[in-house]
Amino acid sequence: MRKFLVVFSLIAVAALGVAQETVTIRLAGYSGDTPLMQDVLSRFVNGVIPGVQVVWEPITEDYLAFVLRTLSAGTAPDIIYVDLYWAKTVVETGLIQPLDEFMAASPVISREDLIPVLADAFTFDGKLYAISKDFNSLVIFYNKDMFDAMGVPYPDAGDTWATFLDKIARVSNPPEWYGASINPDAARFLPFAFAAGMPFLKDDGTAPFDLPAAKIAADWYTSFNRAGIAATSADIGVGWPGAAFIAEKAAVCIEGGWLIPPIRNENPTLNFGATFLPTVWQGGPRGNYLFTVGYGMPVNPPSGRPDLVFKVIEVLTSPEVQEYILESGHAIPSRKALLDSPFFQQLDPFALATKTVFEATGLPGTVPFTFGDVGGGNYMGVVNEALTLIMQGEATVDEAMDEAATKLNEKLGL
Amino acid sequence: MIAPPPTLTSFMRKRGEWVSAFVFLLPLLFTLAIAFFYAFVRTVYFSFTDYNLFRVSQFVGLKNYLALFRDSYFILGLVHSLVYAAIVTASQTFLALLLAVVVNQKIRGLTFFRAAYYVPSIASSVAITTIFIWLVNRRGTVNWLLGLVVQYWPLMITAFGIAALVQVLQVLWERRHGLPVKALDPVLLATSLLVGAVSTVILGRVGLIRSNPEVEVLIPWLTTRQTFLGIPLPLLSIMMLNIWTTTPTMMILFLAGLQDIPQELYEVADIDGATPWQKLRYVTVPALRPVMFLVITLGLIGTIQMFDQAAITAGIAPLESVITLAYYVFWAVFGTGTLPKVGMASAAALVLAMLTLIVVLLQRKVGFSERGWYS
Repeated sequence: MRKFLVVFSLIAVAALGVAQETVTIRLAGYSGDTPLMQDVLSRFVNGVIPGVQVVWEPITEDYLAFVLRTLSAGTAPDIIYVDLYWAKTVVETGLIQPLDEFMAASPVISREDLIPVLADAFTFDGKLYAISKDFNSLVIFYNKDMFDAMGVPYPDAGDTWATFLDKIARVSNPPEWYGASINPDAARFLPFAFAAGMPFLKDDGTAPFDLPAAKIAADWYTSFNRAGIAATSADIGVGWPGAAFIAEKAAVCIEGGWLIPPIRNENPTLNFGATFLPTVWQGGPRGNYLFTVGYGMPVNPPSGRPDLVFKVIEVLTSPEVQEYILESGHAIPSRKALLDSPFFQQLDPFALATKTVFEATGLPGTVPFTFGDVGGGNYMGVVNEALTLIMQGEATVDEAMDEAATKLNEKLGL
Repeated sequence: MIAPPPTLTSFMRKRGEWVSAFVFLLPLLFTLAIAFFYAFVRTVYFSFTDYNLFRVSQFVGLKNYLALFRDSYFILGLVHSLVYAAIVTASQTFLALLLAVVVNQKIRGLTFFRAAYYVPSIASSVAITTIFIWLVNRRGTVNWLLGLVVQYWPLMITAFGIAALVQVLQVLWERRHGLPVKALDPVLLATSLLVGAVSTVILGRVGLIRSNPEVEVLIPWLTTRQTFLGIPLPLLSIMMLNIWTTTPTMMILFLAGLQDIPQELYEVADIDGATPWQKLRYVTVPALRPVMFLVITLGLIGTIQMFDQAAITAGIAPLESVITLAYYVFWAVFGTGTLPKVGMASAAALVLAMLTLIVVLLQRKVGFSERGWYS
């Protein structure tokens, strides 16, 4: 009996020791990423990195609100998503830590492995605060069957604002389908305004929306809906323009690579193509936004093991995982080496669209989707309102854009 | 008679009772102390600082309060909250009373009607609001129904006009022949409606009256800054939604109150020859005063603090058309994309709390109080 008790105790202590060695690391991300992240974690992390168990926490609320709330309360998870859109605001809290030291000691990832613009995007005061996991930019998605049916040439990289407008007008065939689904959305409109020459702010720090460039862009962007050749997603009865495109209610939409997985899942036989946003005039400037999300770490991760937390980030941004995510069609990897992936040589529409999105980020005129100290909510909110009013004919372009400028100046305290 | 002096035993018993009561109350008091009192004191403190969730806060005096009243969004939120509370509370109280009186009758299928009226109240507010957004979008059901009215109003007017005329003629005819028929006798009414419908179809076919099938109603209920009687259309849409979802809950309260009214009062009123309206005005409403107080008070508190519908529709509607005080508090913390302005938001939250208290007290003073009809 005594022998039994001794053996039992030893086994129990050993088991306890093993259990104590396993560190639980919490990773919180957008709830839409759940299937992909659970798949990636089970393939590449849990059971692969010894002593680490990563728990996925899908966040359904506004993600910035979640990050600010949990960082402030000291309950933030070990790994958070850092969206370039609000990265500066989170860095300013002083509660997420720079990753340079971890990176310097890492045999797996270094700053040089990352696409430079993505590394620069998350660098503040010379320190890197998040490792970009993937990136995206805007392209024109078009339905080939609809263009063929109406005998209109496909949109292409040589399109200008004028030729693009003309093609949309000719392909529009309501109530069967609209030429395009366009929402009063600043995140789609602003790249065109920047291409037309609108600065982010004027030299004196005031809002730029009353400048001629902004008004010309607003006039062009809203002209599709005002002419009845495009409709908002709400008017079509779906949640977003991408859904109108997938449902074949719109021949064109302006979206990023995030549209590719839903097409594959919901309408895999859709005959579609993708091309760059049109230039303002022949051979003229072309705008675009670079969207990226990275992995960041709070100053005191709850697991108490920043080294292991970084190890998980290393694995999640490793060539193997990024190649896997790329091939599953979910996102474009942030590692330079993967830009030569055989995936980009494939000729199926999904791979071709992914390649177009990737190439679009490298074109001149592509700027990071970030709003600095102004705040994306402030900046985009007034633009969204102005575009809505113009599209519905409740205000002229001049009135709406002047008002948007006045409102942003008010918010900036100017 | 002089009460006997308290003995030690009675004192101990009373003390024991007091301790037992306190022990039972403790969980609630603890929750209140943490979730309400502590939070309230912190909010008051933050409202005098420039706290942003992260920076060590600096005392700024009344700066936040002064800034609030210079902020156009706050002023708009304040006005919207007051207008919203007044209109929604009045409408839902009136409709709930009417519905309660109706479902308090002994009519066939009563259980079905009670359940049907109550359904909107038990559905999740977010789900209902999302469905509502679909209903009122530019090509949604509401505009489609309005479109039908606009398209076919000449036919409708004709059909109802003819039906009314035929009904009048029939009633006069029957009465002339000594039959005591009511103005809306069901058999005569059915005949009149049939004649109205058939005549309209014939007139339509002949081409004497025309519909306007090409007219399309595309009212942007939510994505607009248009106003109706000074109220933004999106806010008006939220008002309709809220009246629809809250009325049934209030109806249940009135129903409970109605069943407590002694039947004798109605019998006396009947003997005095009171009309149904007089019975409602002079018996039902006075007897329902305590319930009325509860319904109006709950209504005012709920409407002044309305947040969820504003938050959901703010994604579509212009902020200045739907912002309310409660949404302003959230927006100041998380809506701008910059570091949260907790100081401003706290000041706004306190203004909202004070406003709620003042409105409820004012209502109690000049409107319905909780005193019963018998007092």
